[in-house]
Amino acid sequence: MTAQRSLAVQRGILGALLMIGLWEGIARGFSLPAYVLPAMSDVLLGTWNKRAMLAEAASYTLSEALLGYALGALLGIGLAVALTLLPRARGFVVTAVTAVNSVPVVAYSPLILLWFGIGIASKVVMVALAVSFTLFLSTLAGLDRVDRRSIDLMRSFGAGRLALLWRLRLPTALPLILAGLRVSTVRSVIVAIVTEMLGAYGGLGWVIYQAVLQINFVQVWSAIVVASAASILFFGLVGLAERRLLFWRNA
Amino acid sequence: MLKRRHLLAALAAIALTAPALAGPAAAEPAKVSLRLKWLPQAQFAGFYVAAQKGYYKAEGLDLTINPGGPNLLAENLVATGADTFGLSGGSDSVMAARDKGLPVVCIGVSHQVTPFVFVTRKDGPVKTLADFKGRTVTTWFTGANHVLNAILAKEGIRPDEVKIQPQQVSVTPFVDGAVDVATATYYNELYAIQSRMGKENLRTFVAEDYGVTFPRDTLIVSETVLKEKPELVKGFLRASIRGWRNAFADPKGAVDTVMAIAPTLDRAHQEFMLAEVKRLMTAGAAKEKGLFAIDPEAIAKAHDLLLQAKVIGKPVDLKAAFDSRSLDALSSADRQL
Amino acid sequence: MSAAPALSASPPAAGSGRLARRIGGRVAGLLVVALAWEGLVLLLGIRPFYLPRLSAVLAAILATPGAYAAGFLRTFAETLVGFVTGGAFGVAVAVAFLRLRSLREMVFPLFVVSQTIPVIAFGALVVLWFGNTLIAKAVIAFYLTFFPVTVNALIGLESVDPRQIALMRSFGASPRQILLRLQLPSALPQTFVALRLAASLSLVGAIVGEWFGDTTGLGVLLLQAMYTENVVAIWAALLVSALLGTGFYAAVAFLERRLVFWGAEQ
Repeated sequence: MTAQRSLAVQRGILGALLMIGLWEGIARGFSLPAYVLPAMSDVLLGTWNKRAMLAEAASYTLSEALLGYALGALLGIGLAVALTLLPRARGFVVTAVTAVNSVPVVAYSPLILLWFGIGIASKVVMVALAVSFTLFLSTLAGLDRVDRRSIDLMRSFGAGRLALLWRLRLPTALPLILAGLRVSTVRSVIVAIVTEMLGAYGGLGWVIYQAVLQINFVQVWSAIVVASAASILFFGLVGLAERRLLFWRNA
Repeated sequence: MLKRRHLLAALAAIALTAPALAGPAAAEPAKVSLRLKWLPQAQFAGFYVAAQKGYYKAEGLDLTINPGGPNLLAENLVATGADTFGLSGGSDSVMAARDKGLPVVCIGVSHQVTPFVFVTRKDGPVKTLADFKGRTVTTWFTGANHVLNAILAKEGIRPDEVKIQPQQVSVTPFVDGAVDVATATYYNELYAIQSRMGKENLRTFVAEDYGVTFPRDTLIVSETVLKEKPELVKGFLRASIRGWRNAFADPKGAVDTVMAIAPTLDRAHQEFMLAEVKRLMTAGAAKEKGLFAIDPEAIAKAHDLLLQAKVIGKPVDLKAAFDSRSLDALSSADRQL
Repeated sequence: MSAAPALSASPPAAGSGRLARRIGGRVAGLLVVALAWEGLVLLLGIRPFYLPRLSAVLAAILATPGAYAAGFLRTFAETLVGFVTGGAFGVAVAVAFLRLRSLREMVFPLFVVSQTIPVIAFGALVVLWFGNTLIAKAVIAFYLTFFPVTVNALIGLESVDPRQIALMRSFGASPRQILLRLQLPSALPQTFVALRLAASLSLVGAIVGEWFGDTTGLGVLLLQAMYTENVVAIWAALLVSALLGTGFYAAVAFLERRLVFWGAEQ
């Protein structure tokens, strides 16, 4: 098992190295100008040279993403849980949420930017919007996965709605909720960046926007490398937490 | 994987189109494109009018007008050959592009004077430029900030003595009083602010009053096209000037043309915009030399300003970056207003 | 209550009367929302800057119906092309990954990384590579669509009972037959979960793609309205996007009910 795993890791690294090598080769081999494709080595060097500025921008973007992520997760999970306690409201709420969700999140950005300004608030709201939909739908699906017979069994022991929720529904829903939380990490960073590009005081999206206007393509790519690394880190941390939590439950 | 394949396809496409560009262009209309700096609006009316009335066709050009967007830079697209011509940001973006080694040349300047002002409420605390000190001023960090810094410097104010913030998409923070001074183009934001607050309640600060000029909306082309196809460039300029002349003579018709392309625009605003753009385009050097005239003095001033602000790392060869020879080669009948 | 149909997993033997009632319920719900919108704005005196009256928004759409219809059609075409190619590519990659473990281990991490890259940063590159065509927008929709489909299709393909595969093999079925008759149909429910997500993602891709300089499309209308600070026009574009989004999503969900129902029957 571990041997297979390490082979997979090796192949993954090989794939990444091939990709980087090919990129470098194309950029250098065809001596492409930076405005078409800068060489990977230049991008990494540029990232290192601007590390302080990029780190500051990344922490700006990440704090927006984290705040929005936490808010959106609370809202989404909370609403889904509330609906299992209030099944009568469900038909209406699910229809309404599906309708709001079917509008692409980016379409809300003009409105959110006008309402909340170009500061942190608008990004937090946009991320929360994007995250809450995903978590609402996955939590609801998770809560519904419960076997009807288990519910009947617990009911026959006199368990109330809250007990059912706490002891049966939530544990069953946990894997799906955690999967939703993991998927939403990357999305929250991207949504924060996209919103920043339309107007912000700082952050990676703002750096990218400024760099495009200043014709600094190495910086555009550097910001993207940092954004990508931040997303992967966020994704990895939540994935780790997920494994811990599920492992603990299984034990 | 995907990226590589597309890149190779793009390289192949560049290789294929390069000889096509250099080939004979007499019989077939040459396929060219113009990249605007923003979405269709009356700011670009003359180009749309020229296209609609067939002025480009008459010059042997099959021209497509491509709008811009929030994350597109015309210099970049013209340098790579994705577009033939560009109406780009301004003297600032041309110089920054030259500084970064992009092979683009400015062949004409549209707005002869700074197209934006700094605006404040008349009953507010800011009466003179000196009052900017300690106030919240919002501006665009895409060139306007350098103009702001330059006029503040003339008054002996350092940038860190003013709370300068990036300006929102919306003018509402200014209208609501959260911001003391905002930046406004004559044709866009000033219209919105005036219609919401009343023209008489506003005070404006004009860069020219402090000896700063920032020519904007520049026509650009790649070095290769300018060198290899001078006739094509001249034809484009001739048709564009014709289109603008027509738009100024018949503003209603020009707004009709623009609104046929972008019907959701507000007509009153577009008519206002065209009138303001006319003023900006016919000011300064254009008064004597005609539309798109390049005023070397104004360009040199902007250059010094950008050099001081370290937007450009080293002096730019302005003769190479701003080339008015195509424009000068047109007959005076083709150029006059 | 209207809560009932959504709650219980009712059998598909719904009579036409029930369908009519459901549609009637939806229409009634929409009317209630519309009236509440109009009424609340009037009653509470909400500034049009925040929320214009619905009637004003509808009037804006009706003033230039051609622009909104053209935007709808254009964005729909981009979304559809991106969705179909992205879905097909996603499933094909999943099959390739299933067959070739080494390929999967080499490429999968790169795909994951590719999904963390905000495409919006590459406006110029997209224009440079694909021009100002419908295809350029569809490519972005494709880019956002294929990966979730790959992930879910792979999960579905892998969850097929190996005993069933062994059984089919013992009957002399070729790998191709096993794929077409057993593995793909069993992966269908999982795949469709991703396809529903992909339906809205491909619309996001199309709209963002239109921000890279275009004349027609809902993304253009949104941008135009935002920068002229025309809140009524923003809402108008938003409503039309909602129409497209819900319609597209409903179409995919409809297809899912049809196909997965058939798949379960097999």
